[in-house]
Amino acid sequence: MVDNCRASMIIEFPGLWHAVASWTWNAQDETCEICSMAFDGCCPDSKLPGDDCPLSNHAFHLHCILKWVNSQSSQAHCPMCRWEWQFKE
Amino acid sequence: MATEGPSSSSAVVCNLAILDSLTDDSIRQIHDSYTGFCATTATLLTGAGDLSVGPEFIAHVHSLCHHGLHSLVRDHFLKSLEEIFEQNGASKFWRHFDAYTNFALLSKNQPPSYKDQMSEGRHPSDAERSHLFSRYQLLVSSVLMASLPRHFPEILHWYFKGRLEELSTIMGGEFNDDESQDKDEMDLDEKRKISYRTGEMDIDECSHQGRFLENNKLVKNIGKVVRDLRSLGFTSMTEDAYSSAIFLLLKAKVHDLAGDDYRSSVLESIKGWIQAVPLQFFRALLAYLGDSVSYDSPSSGLKSPLASHPSSCYPGIDTPSQGLVRWQLRLEYFAYETLQDLRIAKLFEIIVDYPDSSPAIEDLKQCLEYTGQHSKLVESFISALQYRLLTAGASTNDILHQYVSTIKALRTIDPAGVFLEAVGEPIRDYLRGRKDTIKCIVTMLTDGTGGNPNVSGNAGDSLLEELNRDEESQENTGSRNRRKVDILGMIVGIIGSKDQLVNEYRVMLAEKLLNKSDYDIDSEIRTLELLKAGVDIWHSLCCIRIFRLHFHVGTVILQIHFGENSMQKCEIMLNDLIDSKRTNSNIKATIAQTPLTGAEPGASAVSMDILDATIISSNFWPPIQDETLNVSEPVDNLLSDYAKRFNEIKTPRKLLWKKNLGTVKLELQFEDRAVQFTVAPVHAAIIMQFQDQTSWTSKNLAAAIGLPVDVLNRRINFWISKGILAESLGADSNDHVFTLMEGMVETNKNGGNSGSCEEILVGDDEGERSVASVEDQIRKEMTIYEKFIMGMLTNFGSMALDRIHNTLKMFCIADPPYDKSLQQLQSFLSGLVSEEKLELRDGMYFMKK
Repeated sequence: MVDNCRASMIIEFPGLWHAVASWTWNAQDETCEICSMAFDGCCPDSKLPGDDCPLSNHAFHLHCILKWVNSQSSQAHCPMCRWEWQFKE
Repeated sequence: MATEGPSSSSAVVCNLAILDSLTDDSIRQIHDSYTGFCATTATLLTGAGDLSVGPEFIAHVHSLCHHGLHSLVRDHFLKSLEEIFEQNGASKFWRHFDAYTNFALLSKNQPPSYKDQMSEGRHPSDAERSHLFSRYQLLVSSVLMASLPRHFPEILHWYFKGRLEELSTIMGGEFNDDESQDKDEMDLDEKRKISYRTGEMDIDECSHQGRFLENNKLVKNIGKVVRDLRSLGFTSMTEDAYSSAIFLLLKAKVHDLAGDDYRSSVLESIKGWIQAVPLQFFRALLAYLGDSVSYDSPSSGLKSPLASHPSSCYPGIDTPSQGLVRWQLRLEYFAYETLQDLRIAKLFEIIVDYPDSSPAIEDLKQCLEYTGQHSKLVESFISALQYRLLTAGASTNDILHQYVSTIKALRTIDPAGVFLEAVGEPIRDYLRGRKDTIKCIVTMLTDGTGGNPNVSGNAGDSLLEELNRDEESQENTGSRNRRKVDILGMIVGIIGSKDQLVNEYRVMLAEKLLNKSDYDIDSEIRTLELLKAGVDIWHSLCCIRIFRLHFHVGTVILQIHFGENSMQKCEIMLNDLIDSKRTNSNIKATIAQTPLTGAEPGASAVSMDILDATIISSNFWPPIQDETLNVSEPVDNLLSDYAKRFNEIKTPRKLLWKKNLGTVKLELQFEDRAVQFTVAPVHAAIIMQFQDQTSWTSKNLAAAIGLPVDVLNRRINFWISKGILAESLGADSNDHVFTLMEGMVETNKNGGNSGSCEEILVGDDEGERSVASVEDQIRKEMTIYEKFIMGMLTNFGSMALDRIHNTLKMFCIADPPYDKSLQQLQSFLSGLVSEEKLELRDGMYFMKK
């Protein structure tokens, strides 16, 4: 026990702690209802996930919902609930 | 000479009238002479070389001849000569060989001495003399032939061998080096032989010597022996003997020159030697014999009928005669074949040090072109492979490197690749049965550092780099891509599908990227590009032939196959690293703007500077091993602060920490020294617990860190092995106590480390991996089908492997569809068998009762 008392150590970080994390979209659902791909993946039109394939604010892949909106002739509806399309302010 | 006239005339006019004219006196004289003749003949013939009775003998012969008993004299003489020769001479002659006195030609002295005496005594006319000689020669030759001992050809062979070796050493050294010494070296027998030869030559032809002064004396001596043997009627035997001696010598020479050194070409020096020694010998011999034959030709009746006329009597020395050319071809073919056999037998070793042994390969190629015995090579090499390489003892890496060297080496020998295909097949078959083949292939292709150092010229280059370099260096030649495609194709051909290759690579890439403490991924990007190009090129072998004419192959193929799924995942992984670097610096920048955003400002003593993060798109990465880990509070605060800042920048994305992944650089400061480590977070978490409390029981420590006790016990071994912690048994036998070691103890343990700041890189020595291996993934995926299989077996009782496979294929089409190979299913089923869930009998699977 005497030894233990004398032993002392200070840990310094001269270098760094390189941590690993994964990102995920902060959305309720897991998959886009249009392309049925995971949000954390990317839509069929994108090559890279994340910033390059963002979600629209209503939890679709942005690309998917834009395609949907552009395909609507006059007034756009939500592809899920058929409510009229409105942009969030 | 004086008696020549009367004796010859009386021989011809041999009629009864002569009998009438015989007087008592003359009859008595004849009788006396005949008795005397018989006695002196016997004396002469039996008393070896004793010529004292010569004059008496001559007188008797003269007197008999005077009386016309010419033929009687001759017949009697020859008859008694034959008898005595048969009794004494021949056996004596051969007896000399019995004793293995190599060509002690003492006995050979016998026949000529008779000859001498006979010609002395008779002095017959030229025609008669030649007639006598031919009879004599026939007699000698047939007597000798009849009594030929069995070992004589062997003796001849050894004789020629000895002489040729001598010649070879002379030719090998300077030509005019030391003829005198050479003479001295000749044994006594040889000298005696020479003296005898010259004696004989005086009779046959006198002025022969000195014509080939430029030729080696030795050759001449051999030539003489050959000629004498010919004149004895041993032509074919002699030819056999010297040709076999030459071939033997050539073989020895080839073996000597070639040896076990594969770093230099020996073919040219072998050819040179053939020119210098055996052909020189033949040239001299043929010239010598040709000359002597042409000299002899007027009196060719002298030749024994057994001595066939030499086919090669060409007077010219400089112009290569037909016989000489024939000999050269024979010798060269023999040399090629010998070298080829030698190299083929050692081909395995040659290929082991291939880039260095390319001269030997080049030699072999030339030999095979000449002999055309490629099949020999294939057979022998395959059996060498089976015996030496494709065994349980050889590591997969070694097999692969040998495989690549084989491809490269055999490409040189056989550009069409026919034999390579035959040789490669057993290796590929064998490798397919090994579990770690794909992993080793990927390592070899993409990672130069872990590979075999002797695989390429530049150490530390991956095979892809090497192939790429080759390709660039061959840029201007027509066969661009050819080699690369071949080698890549043959390697990837082992795996069977490029998806498997890329998947394996993805796992390795993930492992590498997750363990990076900086964001430097240049080498990974390059490797991926090379791999992509390589795999694509291999994949579209057929396309290449079409596009090559018009396009730059690389770009066309890359465009065609750009969107490949698994490749794309690798790209996303690399892109994650690039993004992480950007995001990381963005987050650091927000700290500079709003330094105190954290929930507990100033609570942590450590600043955000020490934290870097790799942020991955987990959907595109191989399954990550998830382990809970409680890091110490300051670090934990940092992590949540970081995540918060990320969320602010990247709304609505958030971070999920994988706390067990990553690397930590830390420095342990003791009273007298400091040690630096680069460790996994789990190790850091463990050691940080000892900062405040120097002794922990394993249960408490496990709870504090949030690990199961067994995992903790495994991981903590790292610090124990470094001498930082000590393990002792606690009160409870299951509970170990870990104690921080006193600095001094550690110093004693690792002598050289004390005081210095050293960095120890932690490899995954304990088999800890951040990423699940491909094998684990497949096993995980397969467990979904376990229920299906169990259900099937309950219904059907027993099923064979392929039936299970087909049924799964038929019915499991929903999510997730069954897409495993037969081999994967088999290994999964054998796993179930070993878990005692199933039973395998006669190829049928049963439920275990």
